[in-house]
Amino acid sequence: MCGEEGGEEPLHGASRTERTPVSAAAPAPCLPAEPRLWRELGAAKVEVGAPEGTMAVSVRSWLANEAGKHFVLMLWLAANTWLFLDTYLLYSTGQQYHYLYQMLGLGLCISRASASVLNLNCSLVLLPMCRSLLTFIRGSHTMSTRRMRRLLDKSKSFHVTCGVAICIFSAVHVSAHLMNVVNFSASFSEDFPDLNLARYKGEDPKLIIFTTIPGLSGVLLVLILLLMFISSSHCIRVCNYEIFWYTHNLFIIFYIILMVHMVGGALKYQTNTEAHPPGCLRSSQSLQEADDLDQKQRCKEDAHFQPHYPQTWLWVSGPLCLYCVERLFRYIRSSHPVTIVTVIRHPCDVVELRMLKKNFRARPGQYILLNCPGVSSFENHPFTLTACPTENKETFGIHLRIVGDWTEHFAHLLLPQPRAALEILPVVHQRRYPTLYVDGPFGSPSEEVFNYDVSLCIAGGIGVTPFACVLDALIERWKSFRLQRLYFVWVCRELQSFYWFAELLCALHEKLWKENRPDYLNVKLYVTQKDCQQSMSELRYRPLAARLQVGRPRWKLLFDEIGKCNKDKRVGVFCCGPKRISRTLHRLCNSVRSSGATFEFNKESFS
Amino acid sequence: MGKIEWAMWANEQALAAGLILLTGGIVGVAGQFRGWEFASYAIAAGFFVCMLEYPRSKRAKGTSVERTGQYCFTVCVKAFGPVTRNYYVRAFLHAALCVPGGFMLATVLGCVCLGIASLIYLAAAVRGEHWEPILPRKDTRKPVAESIKSPPQNPPPRPPPEIRRKQAKDVEGAAYDNPIAVTDE
Repeated sequence: MCGEEGGEEPLHGASRTERTPVSAAAPAPCLPAEPRLWRELGAAKVEVGAPEGTMAVSVRSWLANEAGKHFVLMLWLAANTWLFLDTYLLYSTGQQYHYLYQMLGLGLCISRASASVLNLNCSLVLLPMCRSLLTFIRGSHTMSTRRMRRLLDKSKSFHVTCGVAICIFSAVHVSAHLMNVVNFSASFSEDFPDLNLARYKGEDPKLIIFTTIPGLSGVLLVLILLLMFISSSHCIRVCNYEIFWYTHNLFIIFYIILMVHMVGGALKYQTNTEAHPPGCLRSSQSLQEADDLDQKQRCKEDAHFQPHYPQTWLWVSGPLCLYCVERLFRYIRSSHPVTIVTVIRHPCDVVELRMLKKNFRARPGQYILLNCPGVSSFENHPFTLTACPTENKETFGIHLRIVGDWTEHFAHLLLPQPRAALEILPVVHQRRYPTLYVDGPFGSPSEEVFNYDVSLCIAGGIGVTPFACVLDALIERWKSFRLQRLYFVWVCRELQSFYWFAELLCALHEKLWKENRPDYLNVKLYVTQKDCQQSMSELRYRPLAARLQVGRPRWKLLFDEIGKCNKDKRVGVFCCGPKRISRTLHRLCNSVRSSGATFEFNKESFS
Repeated sequence: MGKIEWAMWANEQALAAGLILLTGGIVGVAGQFRGWEFASYAIAAGFFVCMLEYPRSKRAKGTSVERTGQYCFTVCVKAFGPVTRNYYVRAFLHAALCVPGGFMLATVLGCVCLGIASLIYLAAAVRGEHWEPILPRKDTRKPVAESIKSPPQNPPPRPPPEIRRKQAKDVEGAAYDNPIAVTDE
């Protein structure tokens, strides 16, 4: 039920159609001349104590990282359980359902209980997908604390959890209702003809299903749900995002049918339980059938039944309206095309794009969705901003890596093609860029880098883009943030990749040294290509060449070092890279703090 | 819509349909509902569809992710050659298999899902896709030459003493052709 365009989570320049994992070679560390702070990380010094493999979970670290998510999960489970049990008991013990329960049995209670759980989940599932609303909540520091903002990072997981719950309870609901239909047919009631759904005793259950509104709408709902569920498997999302996106957009039909599902009133309740207490003697019954005269009294009137007022729309209409308003807002906001100011080609298939848009405001770490009708009318691809508009410059920029057909075609439209034509006089062409629409910006976990005293940013390959924006903001006004120290680790496969932001890193490094804060920024670069012998030879990139190591980083040593230097502080760990790295880092953050600092893990999530 | 691989979606859909058909069949037989013969057919058909659809095809472009333990299924499915390779055959096979499921309530859902999978397979076949097995890559190494295995018995040939004297003073003038060939066979 996610109503997102083709590209929901930032890929930082990599298109969704293909993915090339950043593989790492075996470490062959060399020790270049480095500032004293980092020298201890050399491979020569081996930690005495726990080897890299065993990392026991520390309660305090685990609580710092996982407690919030699990608390919300417990709340959600409790709400579902309470709803289920409450509805179950209502239908199994309620006086007004006595006769219906007699006819249908257990199936009635289970189907109604699962229906109320479904109501709750169908309404909750839309809320995490209101991106602009979540970005607004994340941005307003008065409304949210850091803990709540960290919970917002998990909105997609919550959406998936609700979705899975919908599928499971739909299965339960459908099975219970199938039992009900069979019982409606088999226990056709002659005494209370109003209560029946079947037209005659022994009517074929299939006929009942396909000729009543609840039955037919139920079948359609199950089909749509199955289509949506099957095409949202990880494999299809990774390989063919469009299939996932277009089938998921069927949610609107799902909700419309859901709201008419109860029309027709298959299940009825008794309205006059005082006048006709269930189990009383009816006028047609004789006294001999009654065992005890005192207990069973005579019915004053016949039982009257009334179908339920459909309730689903009460649950669902609020979030649905909110979501539709949000989509409309985003559509209006992105309807003006942006002006492309510059296009720069970088090594390793990266293109930098600088754009201009009126009233565009963004914070470092946020991402945007690009739509280029010249490439594909319906595809939207996410890219993290690498430069935000400030008072001094109004342009904003992205770095996109050419992987997959959309980015290839887009880059082809942007970059000047090598001309084979012979031109005697150079002709100045007005460069005609394609029209481009930008939706966003949307919030991401990397916005929190400035809200810690000490932050550790770990980037893998093109995953450096959110941190590049952070560095860009630091150059302008590093004094105005709460951040006191930034550790920046960048792991790339090839040396040429570092040239994407070499200027930025050196400029920031130089500025901080000039302003007598050399310990503010600590850069560590790793190149993992096995046979990488050359280093960055340019004079102006000497600070980077001095901080470059060949081989994979040793994370435990890194964490211990940072912990020792920042005792009793909360260090924000921000990871944007391959899953392998983020899993290792997550485990490290939760593990034993022998060194004194608490590491809070924040991850940029991919689709 | 670019280069969507319909076959992958069809494969997921068909596998899920097979499982639903199997479950519906089991429920139908266990409850001994009216028409339980269709349910027993659905069990067999569902099982067969699951076996057929379990091995994923190799993607035309990009990395293919296998399902766990699919290698033996790949080998079986590959053994049928063009019958399983072609998606037209799969489309019509699924269309035919799903029809009897529609006669019983418990298996109706599996029938419809398999029908949808059959349509997607038809779309994939029309676009010219076909099933490719994912086989483990065999790294073929060059056969090691005999001369490498045993160390050389003789020292490398030295030039005659006049040339050796010349080498010390004038390297270019001391160039000579080696009488014994020193090449790797």
